[in-house]
Amino acid sequence: MLAKLMSLLLLGIVRFLTGSQARWYGCPPKAEQRIYFANHQSHADMVLIWAALPEELRSITRPIAAKDYWTKTPFRQWITTAVFNAVYVDRQATPARPAAPAAADPTVAQAPAADTDTAAAGGPDPSPEVPPRAPTPEELRAALPESDPLAPLVRALESGDSIVIFPEGTRGHGDEPQAFKSGLFKLAQMFPQVVLVPAWINNVQRVMPKGEVVPVPILCSVTFGTPIQLEAGEERRPFLDRARRAVIALREV
Amino acid sequence: MNQFLRNLTATQQIGALFLVVFGILSIVTVWAFVRNLREHASDDPEAEAQALEAKRFWGLLKTSWVMATVFWVGWVLGETVATVLFAIVGFFALREFITLSPTRRGDHRSLVLAFFVVLPLQFWLVGSKHFDLFTVFIPVYVFLALPVVSALANDPQRFLERNAKLQWGIMVCVYGMSHVPALLLLDFPGYRDKGAFLVFFLVFVVQTCMLVQHLLGRRFPHKPVAPQVSQSFQWTSWLAGVAAGGLAGGLLTFITPFKPGQALGMALLACVAGSLGHLVMKALKRDRGITSWGMQGMSVTGAGGLLDRVDALCFAAPVFFHSARWYFGL
Repeated sequence: MLAKLMSLLLLGIVRFLTGSQARWYGCPPKAEQRIYFANHQSHADMVLIWAALPEELRSITRPIAAKDYWTKTPFRQWITTAVFNAVYVDRQATPARPAAPAAADPTVAQAPAADTDTAAAGGPDPSPEVPPRAPTPEELRAALPESDPLAPLVRALESGDSIVIFPEGTRGHGDEPQAFKSGLFKLAQMFPQVVLVPAWINNVQRVMPKGEVVPVPILCSVTFGTPIQLEAGEERRPFLDRARRAVIALREV
Repeated sequence: MNQFLRNLTATQQIGALFLVVFGILSIVTVWAFVRNLREHASDDPEAEAQALEAKRFWGLLKTSWVMATVFWVGWVLGETVATVLFAIVGFFALREFITLSPTRRGDHRSLVLAFFVVLPLQFWLVGSKHFDLFTVFIPVYVFLALPVVSALANDPQRFLERNAKLQWGIMVCVYGMSHVPALLLLDFPGYRDKGAFLVFFLVFVVQTCMLVQHLLGRRFPHKPVAPQVSQSFQWTSWLAGVAAGGLAGGLLTFITPFKPGQALGMALLACVAGSLGHLVMKALKRDRGITSWGMQGMSVTGAGGLLDRVDALCFAAPVFFHSARWYFGL
């Protein structure tokens, strides 16, 4: 009840300040399972994309919130869990998987491992001509350790929810988004049936720059683009760059 | 007829005015709806242009309905509510203006001040009839306060430009807009509680002028005065628009405290200020490389941008207000 009221109040405030306009260019607002990936410039990004989605989609879409920031005070924690129904993600990743390049390693390491396993189980004479088979999405999901920062997202997707992620990992400073981290690629591998929708969030950093408390009323919009797909055999880096370009391209429409 | 109208109380007269306005709007809406029912060949380029024109017309009609309803609500609920309504309009207009004027981080505090201190204070000054302070509050005090706040943010890059933009936004959207409800509160002798008529008079003559100018601008062979700024602004259609607005003002004498000649003069003044102000705003838009305020042609108001609709009024209202006060010694 309180959460419902809070969400109405928050929606009112966000609309009053920013208009929170959603512009659907590449795809209609549709209740299918989706991963929205967007540029990240401010903590308010999450709030804006939440407010821009239509009511029906908002209830099935869970934004990703940075754990260190959004659990700092009891109020922030309450608002992210009760109002936004957010998924917490640990930005200070476990020592085993610090940043982008290293983060890819477990997958790479996992792939041959899974391969030899199935090959061994498959029969006594694995022919050397057979190319190394890519692991199936299910295997990838099963292989994900519980401590992995992606684990909560995978659980959310497995339960059928859509999610909103910011693949840059941290808030950008310049005009262009930073290089995407590999989380998006891994999720795309694990959930090939989920639609990947790029989104460009415009102007939010002007509403509330880092370190300010009072927001300024400035019109913001979220532009949703044409969904992209992980092509068969596409490498990690080209895919992430393509995804990033898809997001940047939305700035111009 | 005229005698009958004069014998009504002020409230009844204003009620009758709204009845007329809503009646006209209804008739136009029905006419547009019926016209829209006609079928068009879909691949004909002319039909496409026509459809676009019809869409724009519907947008204009929708704004007119909203504005008329807002006026009506403001009148029914009293002067305070009317002032608050105009404050909200000013707020949204300023939001559009600031959105399209690039600001830097150092401007954040000044923007907060502009939206949440200057704007409410200015409209409060109007509502409490502090007319002397209200006319100088923004040009004198805010003019000093905002740059100080910006300077304290320690960012000299494009300082003059950024401050000028903010100052301009406040002048047009807050200062200009606040003069419209101020008309409601102006006390003409023998004209108590009829301020709503004066607001209607101003809005009506300025809109008539803009509309005539817009329509004639397309009819006449094009010879734009300042093609870089506006493709449609030309002296002939401008003169015709101002004349039409003045004439409308002269015909509406009976709802104003003015004599016919005075009403004509005031209407002409408001039209000149409004239409030229609109041209200035067009130049500002061109500077930003856009054709309308509001976000990429689609704003939250559903119209092409709220500021596009009210900018003429923002320029006409202060001129109208001050010349009326000066001329009648109020």
